[in-house]
Amino acid sequence: MEERQYDLIFICRPDTPEADIDKIIATLEHAATEKGDKIEKTEKWGRKRMAYRVHKLREGFYVYMTVRATHGEVVKELERRLKVSDPVIKYLTVRVDEDLKRQQKLKRHRERRAARRPRKTAPPAAAAPTAPAAGGEPTAASV
Amino acid sequence: MAENTAPQQQGPAPSGPRPQGGPGGRPGGPAKRGKRSFVRKKKVCRFCVDKVDFIDYKKAEILAPFIQERGKILPRRMTGTCARHQRWLTVAIKRAQNIALLPFAAEL
Repeated sequence: MEERQYDLIFICRPDTPEADIDKIIATLEHAATEKGDKIEKTEKWGRKRMAYRVHKLREGFYVYMTVRATHGEVVKELERRLKVSDPVIKYLTVRVDEDLKRQQKLKRHRERRAARRPRKTAPPAAAAPTAPAAGGEPTAASV
Repeated sequence: MAENTAPQQQGPAPSGPRPQGGPGGRPGGPAKRGKRSFVRKKKVCRFCVDKVDFIDYKKAEILAPFIQERGKILPRRMTGTCARHQRWLTVAIKRAQNIALLPFAAEL
């Protein structure tokens, strides 16, 4: 089946010891591999100020990970685990593969257009100085 | 045909297709006449200028200029963002709000 990619961000209480956060990450990775999917990347953003208060807290420890999955089941399981783990105060899962696909498509499109543009503009520029009267027109028309 | 005839007329001076056109495209008038003059500067979509294909909701510092102090998303007519990028932008801002990177509303 088609492969999906998710961004998963969760926020822990700022007073959580680092070891506990590592433990949560490990359990999530375990849960993902159990379902046959994979957590590709894990980034600890560290303590950050949140834009608003959550559970009367102003700061939180952000952890960001990307998940590659073949189906949406794994998200349900990961979110369930995040919900029951006490230090986690907020989490968000976003499906990103469609956005990334669109981004790549646009990028390819842009590159192709950029590659085409010099060819289109070059012949008239090259033809004009050499033969402005007669030779210029046929070459420009052929392009 | 129009493309072909244009370079012929300009023959000796093969400059770009459009040599005319004022700087910045402002509709005439002296720009130095204080702040109150009604010369409207043409707004350009910032994302189009930077050729952005994807607006990342994780980068709050990019999204921050597009929300009001109270937390509202600024309309296109204020920022000049094009329709397509505004569409992406709103989604990105809403995602950022959900993970507390941007505020829903200002705290008092």
